[in-house]
Amino acid sequence: MNDFILTSLIFTPLLAALVILLLPVRLHKPIKAVTLLAALVQMGLAILLYFRFDGGAAANGQMGYQFVQKLNWIGFSLGNLGRFQIDYFVGVDGVSISLVLLTGLVGVIGVISSWNITKNVKGYFLLYLLLLTSVMGCFLALDFFLFYLFFEFMLLPMYFLIGIWGGPKREYAAIKFFIYTLVGSLFILIVMIGLYTSVIDPAATAVQMGLLEQGQAASAEVLTQVQQMLQRNQISNYNLVHTFSIPAMMEPANFIPNSLLHVLSGSILWDMPLRFIAFLLLFAGFAIKVPSVPVHTWLPDAHVEAPTPISVLLAAILLKVGGYGLIRIVYPIFPDAGTYFSILVGGLGVLSIIYGAMNALAMKDLKKLIAYSSVSHMGFVLLGLATLTNEGVNGAIYMMFSHGIISAMLFLVVGVIYDRAHDRMIHNFRGLANAMPAYTAFVVVAFFASLGMPGFSGFISELLVLVGGFGAPEATGLLPRWLTIVAVFGLLLSAAYYLWALQRMFFGKFWIFPELRQNALITDLNAREYLMLVPLAVLALVFGIFPHLLLDKIGLTVNGYTEMVLLRGQEQLGLIISTLQK
Amino acid sequence: MNEQAVYLSDKLDAILAGAGSLLPELVLAGFFLLLVTLDLFKMPSIKRLLPWLALTGLFWVLVLQVLGGYTSGDEPFLDLLLSDGMARFGGILFSAAGIFTVLMSLQHPRLEKLQEGRGEFYALILILVLGLNLMAKSVNLLMVFLAIELVSIASYILTLTFKQEKRAVEAGLKYVLYGTLSAGVMLYGMSFFYGLTGTLNYASEDFALGLLQADTLLVTVAAVLVLAGFFFKISAAPFHFWAPDVYQGAPMPVVALFSTGPKMAGILVILRFVENFTDAEAFADVQLLLGIAALVTLAIGNFTALWQRTPRRLLAYSSVSHAGFLLTALLAFGTGYTSSVLFYLTVLLFMNFGIFLLLQVAEEKYGVQTLEDFSGLGRLLPYFGVMSVLYLLSLTGLPPLAGFMGKLLIFSNVWEAYTLSGNSMLLALLIIGILLTGVALFYYIKIPYYLFFKRNQSHENLVISPSDKLMLALFALPLLVFFFKPDLLLHWIEQLLAQTL
Repeated sequence: MNDFILTSLIFTPLLAALVILLLPVRLHKPIKAVTLLAALVQMGLAILLYFRFDGGAAANGQMGYQFVQKLNWIGFSLGNLGRFQIDYFVGVDGVSISLVLLTGLVGVIGVISSWNITKNVKGYFLLYLLLLTSVMGCFLALDFFLFYLFFEFMLLPMYFLIGIWGGPKREYAAIKFFIYTLVGSLFILIVMIGLYTSVIDPAATAVQMGLLEQGQAASAEVLTQVQQMLQRNQISNYNLVHTFSIPAMMEPANFIPNSLLHVLSGSILWDMPLRFIAFLLLFAGFAIKVPSVPVHTWLPDAHVEAPTPISVLLAAILLKVGGYGLIRIVYPIFPDAGTYFSILVGGLGVLSIIYGAMNALAMKDLKKLIAYSSVSHMGFVLLGLATLTNEGVNGAIYMMFSHGIISAMLFLVVGVIYDRAHDRMIHNFRGLANAMPAYTAFVVVAFFASLGMPGFSGFISELLVLVGGFGAPEATGLLPRWLTIVAVFGLLLSAAYYLWALQRMFFGKFWIFPELRQNALITDLNAREYLMLVPLAVLALVFGIFPHLLLDKIGLTVNGYTEMVLLRGQEQLGLIISTLQK
Repeated sequence: MNEQAVYLSDKLDAILAGAGSLLPELVLAGFFLLLVTLDLFKMPSIKRLLPWLALTGLFWVLVLQVLGGYTSGDEPFLDLLLSDGMARFGGILFSAAGIFTVLMSLQHPRLEKLQEGRGEFYALILILVLGLNLMAKSVNLLMVFLAIELVSIASYILTLTFKQEKRAVEAGLKYVLYGTLSAGVMLYGMSFFYGLTGTLNYASEDFALGLLQADTLLVTVAAVLVLAGFFFKISAAPFHFWAPDVYQGAPMPVVALFSTGPKMAGILVILRFVENFTDAEAFADVQLLLGIAALVTLAIGNFTALWQRTPRRLLAYSSVSHAGFLLTALLAFGTGYTSSVLFYLTVLLFMNFGIFLLLQVAEEKYGVQTLEDFSGLGRLLPYFGVMSVLYLLSLTGLPPLAGFMGKLLIFSNVWEAYTLSGNSMLLALLIIGILLTGVALFYYIKIPYYLFFKRNQSHENLVISPSDKLMLALFALPLLVFFFKPDLLLHWIEQLLAQTL
């Protein structure tokens, strides 16, 4: 069971998609039922995984992956480049466990929210399931190639889901989304190629050299021996086994000495070490996905045009892939550049916080307001990560989880009013509290949770990030204090745009714009909407009051993580600079 | 020059001894003669038999080359034709391309009803495949020239299959004009090489030695001239101008063949040719030249494709950009890039036949002429829609399709070559090549965009025939398999290449 739990998590939706493929087009109910079942199974497995995951196992500053499954997938030799190895390599640690849980939860909410889709039901749910598989795969993959496969494959269902089922400008939004993210992933691809031509898998190389039998577990001595031989150039090219494994890429000892991304290579391009350029490319690729200002412009379009359930998925899960990629891949593999450029990362984070909030303040469309609030909140992820303090990184991960819950709720809330009035302009409504009291209650919960009210999960994450930010000058010396002070203003702004929107739309005497009245049927929430909103509100509260539920699981991993990244970062940065000075 | 060739009897012996290595070519030639002879009879039953006869011949050659064993393959035949593993793998690809072309033609309603020239059509496909085989085997400049001309002449006539159509005539004329011009230029360049080295056998040591002693500028000029002819065959810039017109005017199976066969053979010829320029530092110019050509080809192919309104022209420019990728691959000197190139060629074969078969179905059955005509087809025919997305994504180079794997292998070689040489042009090519994939997506995605996002009420009662469905699936399957298990193909390629080393 333990061996296959991750694989089942990833491929349950895909299996359901195959089932749906065989069902006739007209059977709407069974198609929806199969999708719901798959999402429920995935959620069940995610919850099971959450409880089984041992938060204390990641001790001793090591990054402990649990439930690991590693299978040989592709292996071939390429002339005198040596052997190439791609593995099916999945595992979960403190960073990914929260996002896996989130994906499981939001996946189900999304299906419920899609229940009244009528246009081309089969296609919709097929794509929905493909999306779930690829997102889950992204969070669990520990092989860069596997990650990239899922990362790229996410684009396609999303493109069609926005482009076919979206709003009036859906085609433009879909193409913009596709092009932006694809360009981002191409940056990632460049670095991926660079990395795997530079990195070897010491265990597999040992097998190739005859130090180990096939299938024999590698002891630490053998690995160290191989790494030492590698650094002394004692292994012939034919025996080198290149790998995409992310943990292997994190070890500087696994880099081939004369490869360009080796710390001591001294390779420069445009007056900058190549490792720095690789970092910047990767960062750009993931920043588009986060999204960070100034590459965020696809997000408001995509959100506004996407149908409600897809907006929910996009905000709650897909955006997290960006932050996750930064934490999982960019910083551990390039800790040197990560510490060097922390001011850039943190600065862009703060810029996103402020700029996103200011934009949200100016929006007339409620959905756009929420889209920009997403930009603003994701800025906290960048800021928290850039501090490289325990609090900051914990806060960044917590923010991703909490924003997933809250933004799902926010977009559902917008969907509710749009379903009834076919409009969501703030100035077309007034006094909705009188007509829809229960709805208003949930809106208030969602807004307050999002603006960081104590008692909700948003508060915990913002608090952690800010504490990390204020502590950073002493703890890591990476970020100046004024940056965090500026970020605090983002909190004020978010209070402003939410409260202002609340005041304009919900308070006062009930009124809606006359032209909307013929089509509008203003009723309060129905059972299906309660079913989606209540669990999310409860989750936001639970994780706001009992943060240890999540922090216990991620805390030790993050401790080891920050320690490793900081230590290696400063050490390698010193090596790079001294090599260049020679 | 071989001493033994002086005496006629010795020469005859050499021919007889080496003829075994030419068995595939002999079979092809035999079937060509058979087809031309049978075409003289007017009986409909015989006429109906002709395509199947061509198919038999091609299939025989395919099996022959897959199984191997008909040649020892060490010695070039009369110093002209070398039957090594690379040529054998190329031969497999060419006969597969020929088979696919014939199968596609059998699905083509207007080709099937063709009154005159139907027999010739299939005979010419055989002769074209024969020419391709010779191209892949040539180690002698003159032989290369003859093989290329054989392919070209067959191509000219195939382009003109529908003579009564104006656009076919225009295409044929442009093809002939560009073709003869580039052939002349190439021949001129070859004469330079003969003058500089005293031999036409460009795989020999004399040739390499001669180049070393010669003036670098002269060698570069000669290389430019010769490469011009090769570039014409693979439709690389600036010799790509024929491609959009010919793709617009020729019958779809022929277009599919042009986009794969000559391109694959041309790449193999260039591959053999540039081996002479890999080691010596003095010939960095040739590398630079290829690099610039690759860059220009990539840029022209991708950016011009953006403005095209017909699917045929769009795919013509896409094929130009693929030539650019292949040229990029050839630049990765010193990294054992041959298997990556052969892998990419295999993927290209399936991608192109798939997408052109789709286009043939769209054009002949649903009357699609422009990109707008695709509107709504994907919703009406989900199978058609899904298949086109699949092929187009593979052409773009996105996972999970083999097009991605092909590009990944090529770019890995380029990165490695950059690591070895530190030549920053390679890095520039790598980055530009990868980023242009983003541009490529922008034009490829237009077809799914119309297929799924636009509506059109005029299409009614559309069907897709089972045989078309089957063939579409057949071309698509390898694209998935070679993504998830590329090692299957790569192992085989490695084996074939190793046999002759």
